[in-house]
Amino acid sequence: MKKILVVDDEESIRFLYKEELEEEGYIVECAKNGKEALEKLAAFQPDLISLDIKMPVMDGIEALKRIREKERHLPIILCSAYGEYKQDLTTWASDAYVVKCADLTNFKSIIRKLLRLS
Amino acid sequence: MVNPLYPYDLLKSIVQLSTTPLPTHVRLDRMLQSISAAFQLDRCLLLRPEKIIEDGFLSRLASEKKPLWVEEGSSFRKENVLPEEEGLLCPTFACIPLYDGTSFQGMLYIGLSKPYHFSPQEVELLLLMGEAMVGAIRNDHLHQKAEETISELTALYEMGKAVASTLKLGNLFQLIVATGLKILKAKGGVLRVEDKKTRELEVKWSVGDYHQSPLDEKIAKRVFYTQTPLSFNPPGEENPSFSMLCAPFLSKGKILGTLAFYDKDSDSSKFNERDFQLLLIITNQLSFAIENALTHYEISNMAQENEKRVAQLSSLWEFNKALLTTVNFERILQLTLTAITIGEGLKFNRAMLFLVNEKNRTLEGAMAVGPDSAEEAGRIWAALSQRKGTLSDQITQLNPQGYSALNVIVKGIQISLEQKQCILSRTVLEGKPFNIQSSQSKEGGIRTQCERGCHLSSEVGCYVGEHLSRDPKVYSFATVPLMGKGGIIGVILVDNLYNQNPITEEDIHFLSMFSNQAGLAIENAILYRNLEEVHQELKETQNLLIQREKMVALGELSNSIAHEIKNPLVSIGGFARRLYRVIPDDAMEKRYTQTIMVEVARLEKILTDIFNYTHDESIAFKECDLRKILEDSLSMTQSRIDAGGVKLVKEFPEEIPQIHGDYHQLRQVFSNLINNAYQSMKGQGILSLRLHSIAKNGASYVRVEVEDTGGGIDPQNLHNIFNPFYTTKDSSLGLGLPIVHKIVTSHRGQIEVDNQPGTGVNFIITLPASEKGREDRLKGPEADQ
Repeated sequence: MKKILVVDDEESIRFLYKEELEEEGYIVECAKNGKEALEKLAAFQPDLISLDIKMPVMDGIEALKRIREKERHLPIILCSAYGEYKQDLTTWASDAYVVKCADLTNFKSIIRKLLRLS
Repeated sequence: MVNPLYPYDLLKSIVQLSTTPLPTHVRLDRMLQSISAAFQLDRCLLLRPEKIIEDGFLSRLASEKKPLWVEEGSSFRKENVLPEEEGLLCPTFACIPLYDGTSFQGMLYIGLSKPYHFSPQEVELLLLMGEAMVGAIRNDHLHQKAEETISELTALYEMGKAVASTLKLGNLFQLIVATGLKILKAKGGVLRVEDKKTRELEVKWSVGDYHQSPLDEKIAKRVFYTQTPLSFNPPGEENPSFSMLCAPFLSKGKILGTLAFYDKDSDSSKFNERDFQLLLIITNQLSFAIENALTHYEISNMAQENEKRVAQLSSLWEFNKALLTTVNFERILQLTLTAITIGEGLKFNRAMLFLVNEKNRTLEGAMAVGPDSAEEAGRIWAALSQRKGTLSDQITQLNPQGYSALNVIVKGIQISLEQKQCILSRTVLEGKPFNIQSSQSKEGGIRTQCERGCHLSSEVGCYVGEHLSRDPKVYSFATVPLMGKGGIIGVILVDNLYNQNPITEEDIHFLSMFSNQAGLAIENAILYRNLEEVHQELKETQNLLIQREKMVALGELSNSIAHEIKNPLVSIGGFARRLYRVIPDDAMEKRYTQTIMVEVARLEKILTDIFNYTHDESIAFKECDLRKILEDSLSMTQSRIDAGGVKLVKEFPEEIPQIHGDYHQLRQVFSNLINNAYQSMKGQGILSLRLHSIAKNGASYVRVEVEDTGGGIDPQNLHNIFNPFYTTKDSSLGLGLPIVHKIVTSHRGQIEVDNQPGTGVNFIITLPASEKGREDRLKGPEADQ
């Protein structure tokens, strides 16, 4: 059972992702910002992190940097409402960049790919 | 002697003869007849002094002043007698020298063929007869002298009257020659005056054709240069057919000319000393008058010339004043050319103005003024002479130019400054005026150095002369450079095609003077025009900036809204999908959730569009081939077109310059346009895609046209089509054309809409060709060679 940490400031998004991913058979833990994600990282030991970029307290880019300092090879998917951070060089440190969408098919297939499940 | 009464009869007849009004020679003849009859002489002669041969006995008698009586019983030595005098030696004869005081007037000779002895009374009577004859001769001399003096006085009076009556040179010369002819009774006369400029003696008036004889000119020159009068009678002939008098006109030591007369118009054709003296009197008296008249003529000429120049200057001043009051380019050009052609101005038949294009190194025709044909010229000049009002009124009322073939021709002329043979280019390059008069050659037609037959001596490429030529006999034209502050800004070309008047250096001088003024005005007008253009551009840029600022503000607003909405939308959509999956297929809720899903998907698309529009995507500019971009843009619609009733027409040339741009953005532009066009036709119509390269202002561009037959855009909506969120389609957000516009603008391109309501619409996009593309194109032909 692979573990996924979903980081998003939007309650409804966290809820949706958790429902959808658990249905796919993953163990899902949620955090509402970068800071909380860092705190939960050691205890939860996720196999993959879905990281929203625009968040209060600590945003996704900052969190990405901090996580990479510890976990060099942990697969991280950056998410944003639009493709607005595509040109930001720091996003290159992630393994994928996904634009949020109601249809999660694409998102789920990227996860499977990163976890080498397919 | 026979008749004892003869002394009385003789004296009576002599006294009667002395008082008759008969001519002297007739009177003397009758006297001789009376003497001969009274003395019953065999011979009775009056020998005139010129008939008495020198060294003969008669001349000895004349010098001794003593009569000789050879009669019966007296001795006469024959040793002094010359052979010509021997006929006079009769048996009895007498010679009575006739003396008037001191001068010898002749010899009275009487001869008898028989021996005779003169009685003392007879001797006394004969001596008395001699005195009577002397008296008659003396009277005649006195009379003749009085008559001559009277005629001289009359002549001088007439001459004086004539000279005083006129100051006109031509009349004066004519009067002098006519009066001289009358006084000297000559057959012909020639009057010459030195020309001040050429220093040549010129015939001013002549009677008869004597001035055509080379001898006449030779003598006149000699008299002129030696300042000495000359009387010329070719020697050796008794009755010379040629006789002339020539005297200089001298005034205050200065020589003005000569006056010559030919051939006496009376029995003797030879001029005598008295005629010569008379001529000298005439020339002396008239020199002063001629000098006065010459001076008057010069002064009045100068005054006339000055008056003309003053008139010209004041009209040019009027034009200059008018030039200063306007900065309108067209009006300044028209004023300039009108001043050059108008009667009050410089009076040229036609005037053409060319301006230097520094960028292209060419001369370009700007404007021309002048009639198109000789008939039109005549009509215009006739109308001008009837015109009323002052010059400045006319200038103010000057109408903008109507259609003129010349103007159209000149405006189309473009001459490279590299054509160094062309007189127009040379005027610019050498910066000096040219004044050229070409006359017709023997073959007819004007000789020209130009291969094309241009009269402006231009090489191939210049068509000016070709249009100008109407085969005039003489074609005079001139060019002057148009000076601006920084150098030569153009050329003015003038000609006298219709009246064929020669162009003088003075004309060129005035033209240059005026064109210098006009040059400054034209330069100012150009600067002003440029300033206005820049001002206009600035205003447009300012508007654009304001518009951009608004768009940025709108962009920021929509961006934050889009962010706020996106997340809830994703969860709504996401949960709807979850519901959809769990709801059984036959339940109504399945359709409800499906509706939510579809609407969410639509909202998501809208948000993405807004985001893309407001976000400056960093774009990668590269060399692109518009043909490929168009083909790729078509690919999405192509399948639908192939299936339906829309006909696709492609006009892509082989060679098209590359452009510098972003492939994806440009593809988006043409995909949008093609899609719009396709949709507008609702499955029926013609979709045309055209691609061509054009040159504009020396730069090269590529133009793409996307045309449909979908009925066009409602004119009411036309001004809104590039505004975001404006749409007439239910299924569209209205961002398609604004995005197209944004991308084209960011490519330094232009978008035009050729809307034909009811028919269709053509979107025309013009993009600058890349520098590389242009170079390639320039290199192209060479590579082919």
